[in-house]
Amino acid sequence: MDTPRRLPWNHLVQREVGRLLAPLWMPLVVAIMRFYMGYRLAGRDAVREKFARIREARKAAGTPLLVCANHLTLIDSFLVAWALAPTWRYALHFDELPWNTPERTNFGSNWRDRISTWLMKCIPITRGGARGEVGAVLDRVVALTRGGEVALIFPEGGRSRSGRVEVENAAWGVGRIVGALPDCQVACVYLRGRKQKSWGAVPEKGDVLDVDVTCIEPKSDAKGVRRSRDLARQVVAQLATMESAHFARLEPADAG
Amino acid sequence: MEQSEVFERVVKILTPWAKNDEALSNVAMETSILDELKVNSARLVDVVIAFEDDFDIEIADEDVDSVNTVGDAVKLILEKLG
Repeated sequence: MDTPRRLPWNHLVQREVGRLLAPLWMPLVVAIMRFYMGYRLAGRDAVREKFARIREARKAAGTPLLVCANHLTLIDSFLVAWALAPTWRYALHFDELPWNTPERTNFGSNWRDRISTWLMKCIPITRGGARGEVGAVLDRVVALTRGGEVALIFPEGGRSRSGRVEVENAAWGVGRIVGALPDCQVACVYLRGRKQKSWGAVPEKGDVLDVDVTCIEPKSDAKGVRRSRDLARQVVAQLATMESAHFARLEPADAG
Repeated sequence: MEQSEVFERVVKILTPWAKNDEALSNVAMETSILDELKVNSARLVDVVIAFEDDFDIEIADEDVDSVNTVGDAVKLILEKLG
């Protein structure tokens, strides 16, 4: 994939319009999550500090940064962005708000959803759709990330039907993106509500969400699609490790 | 290698991944791998790797973008085989 470092003009327009309107929609989204839904992020400050270090190291080294998270609810992209940095930070550094690739059938059914997702730096994708279309979206994510933007990908390719990270069922799109970006750093984010037993639309009202972030640099000597699968599995395996650690941390509390 | 032979081998490789037995029994060059055979899109990578192993070829990510039907896969493999 040979893509330029400069942002394509359509994404530049999308980002700048989103930036202009961010003071309207960003506090509203956070207020809904925090006060209407009553979500609380456990360990939020530590995670933000950790992610700030990852972000600064990436900037200093000039390497691409991709955020990869587990996927259980329709609003995970909002929750992950909220967990990684405060709203004021995104308002000042809108380029740090991750681009996102939501499933078109979930967010593209009416014009309001389409406008909202466009403002929120989304590039809809039809999972399981025509390979050419899926490939074009992945190429756009590569171009954005190469241009210094941050993108959020759910490497499982959809909400986990088992409620757990499944390494063997991982999609491979993320591997294609990582493989196209030399020295790509992947910030793996594990986020889960304590009442979240399986996949669903949104976490339960009042849920406490545990969140953690770890940065890895996937590598593979394989070639072609095998390389992409290998890289994707490394990312998903890291999320699975974080999931195990999440449940191990909760066990003593559950027992008590 | 003849197109018919590649087609047969492609169908054989696809068989364990296909969830629609009816579409599989009537498989043709125009049959869609994802929509009709109901191969899980996330597992398409395993199918493509099986093509690589079976035909001793290397397939790039971008090559897969053009593969929607069984015929597309056959055409791609024939191209790779030269």
